[in-house]
Amino acid sequence: MDNKIFIVAKREYLERVRSRTFLAFTLVIPLFIAAVTMFPLYIAAKSGASTAIRHVTIIDATGSGLGDRIAHALMTDSTIARIPNDTVTPRVENVSAADVPAREQAAADEVKLPDHITGYLVLTDSTLAGKSARYSGRNASTIGDMDKLRSLVRQEVMVSRLEREGVRKDIVNDLATSNFRLSSERLTERGRGGSGQAGIFAGISVGLLLFMSIVFHGQNVLRGVLEEKSSRVAEVVISSVKPESLLAGKVLGVGGVGLTQQAAWFAISAYLMNFLGPVILKAATKGAVTASATSGSGAANAALGASFGGMALSIVAVSLMFFVIGFVFYASLYAAAGSMVNSEQEAQQAAMPVMLLLMSTWLMVNPVLINPNSKLAIVLTWLPWSSPIMVPLRMGLTTVSPAVIAGSALVAVFGCIASIWLSARIYRVGMLMYGKKPSFSEVAKWIRYA
Amino acid sequence: MSDLAIDIRNVVKRYDQHVAVRDLSLQVPRGSVYGLLGPNGAGKTTTIRMILDIILPDAGSISIFGRPNTESGILNSVGYLPEERGLYKKMQVRRVLLFLAELKGIRPTDAAKRIDEWLARFSLVGERNWGDARVDELSRGMQQKVQFIATLLHDPDLVILDEPFSGLDPINAQALKDAVLELKQRGKTVIFSTHVMDNAEKMCDSVCIIARGEKVLDGGVAAVKKSAGSRNIAVSLAGGAQNGVSAVLRDPTFVRRCDDNNNYFELELFPNADAQLLLRRLIDAGANIERFELMQPSLHQIFLQRVGASGVEKGMSGHG
Repeated sequence: MDNKIFIVAKREYLERVRSRTFLAFTLVIPLFIAAVTMFPLYIAAKSGASTAIRHVTIIDATGSGLGDRIAHALMTDSTIARIPNDTVTPRVENVSAADVPAREQAAADEVKLPDHITGYLVLTDSTLAGKSARYSGRNASTIGDMDKLRSLVRQEVMVSRLEREGVRKDIVNDLATSNFRLSSERLTERGRGGSGQAGIFAGISVGLLLFMSIVFHGQNVLRGVLEEKSSRVAEVVISSVKPESLLAGKVLGVGGVGLTQQAAWFAISAYLMNFLGPVILKAATKGAVTASATSGSGAANAALGASFGGMALSIVAVSLMFFVIGFVFYASLYAAAGSMVNSEQEAQQAAMPVMLLLMSTWLMVNPVLINPNSKLAIVLTWLPWSSPIMVPLRMGLTTVSPAVIAGSALVAVFGCIASIWLSARIYRVGMLMYGKKPSFSEVAKWIRYA
Repeated sequence: MSDLAIDIRNVVKRYDQHVAVRDLSLQVPRGSVYGLLGPNGAGKTTTIRMILDIILPDAGSISIFGRPNTESGILNSVGYLPEERGLYKKMQVRRVLLFLAELKGIRPTDAAKRIDEWLARFSLVGERNWGDARVDELSRGMQQKVQFIATLLHDPDLVILDEPFSGLDPINAQALKDAVLELKQRGKTVIFSTHVMDNAEKMCDSVCIIARGEKVLDGGVAAVKKSAGSRNIAVSLAGGAQNGVSAVLRDPTFVRRCDDNNNYFELELFPNADAQLLLRRLIDAGANIERFELMQPSLHQIFLQRVGASGVEKGMSGHG
């Protein structure tokens, strides 16, 4: 009997893992996830200031040495990507206000030549007054470059005005180079626990992954049952195995496929992000990059690290446990739905109640995200059909005591037993019923006389 | 060890509106070929499914080789070919067979060896080894062979075939008959259900006729026929029943029932009717007689006589 469950599970597992669809899904999904995660990183890296803003001419008509200051800042700012052996420095031209139009024209002509300056910056009295400066160049629409240039000009204008007002030089320098950053950290009863963002990332990704896996593999169970029924192989199999064992083997086998796939997803995604990520970032910034921790790409890196690295081992373990419980709960219901019907279209209808149960849980994710300690969240922790998603989600957001986790797991296990019992009875009768789709009252009768 | 392959006692199965099997008892001797006969909807498939513990009876007991059919492992000695046949379409033939054999408790290494033997025997290994093909690449006839291999692969002592001839082409039907006889020679018990009486009459040692979920009669084929009496006459006419011949064949003073097959007639006479007188009157009527034979009734006749056209319960369809 137990041995037969294993034989059934083995068939389900091997036939699915051998299929081309499995291979495709296992490889494509992490590539997709990696792409979705990497794209913003790539954009972020792309939008950081590039070395192009060093290749400029600064036309300084202020007569205050502001141009030299800005040139110096451009060369020393550590957040601008730097190409080794790039010796090009900003050229500063100190001119009188009257010469500005002619110099500007010359610089504009130079910009048009290949391999010369990227653009030119015009500083006037208005700049020194803290009002405006003007930049023209090929990279004028590159957000990262312009942001960097704007902040450097503003900074240097401020420094020179402070100096003019007689503020001590070291104080000015200190003010000018202070680099303000707000970092956040989550505090729980048990102490520090990664950044606040990390928790939300982990919670959402675990919740979504569990939800999608349960739906996807649950549907697989349904389709498997339907295939056995419509190909008429069911009766031969049932003459050798108890329907309950067949159901159990099927759920175990498909669940094993789900676990295998998730393990593969985690491994491939982790590989892609840890090894491929930096390579992509390098490519994005054209060549050897020394991206600093405070740059845009650094922030993106931190967010990425948060979504995976920030996921505590305990969440992974509990997620796996609840995946197994939740999967068994829903998959056996899906199997019952599959056994009631004869075609794929009917199956979607029959699976509707199961889907509604899942969707109702999914719709509650948002409110729980907003307030993971609300009454609603606590109730959902204890309901067997929602706890498999809600417990891991809440663990990422707040502190859930081990007693609550164990308790809700226990309730969910009882939920599973009820769901298996119910499904087995429907399955036993449904598997050999052909013809029209049964009504709910008929299904109720099956449950009674099975 | 019991000398009964199957012993069914007072089995009842009720469904919502109707009784599918009522108080059925039957015994299948070990080593015999046993026919379970009845019209569609008579309860044959329900009975077979109860033997296989697929459906639980509401009352009564079923034993296989003297042990209750619910005992673990007992069904490993039974091979079953259901009426609704099918295999996993996307699976390799060899893997399907291996899976089904494993479910019957055969170790994978043994099963692999047997699969090779059976594939060769059913000529599924030739220019192409169909064992490595996917089930849905096989023709219908080949799939039937594979299905049959699946039934016999674990060398069962009891083989149950539900409507085995339905959907078989003549070549596979003949192969099936040969296989059944070979099984009998090897001391196996074969039960098959059918509503085609000809097959049953030619192949079975014993039969049980059921209708409306009840046993109508059972016993050895010879005994059943003998007890039905020999008031039957087979008549063959060249050119069919012309002119007044048809009236003679249906004369209510002689003939209780006439089974008219155009050139061949099977008549059942009233107990006191004189067969010689009937022959004379047929000659007088100008019949061109090729055969006139007093005989035991065929199972078909007995079936019609005992079950009649009303043997099918109203509102039931599908499985017997």
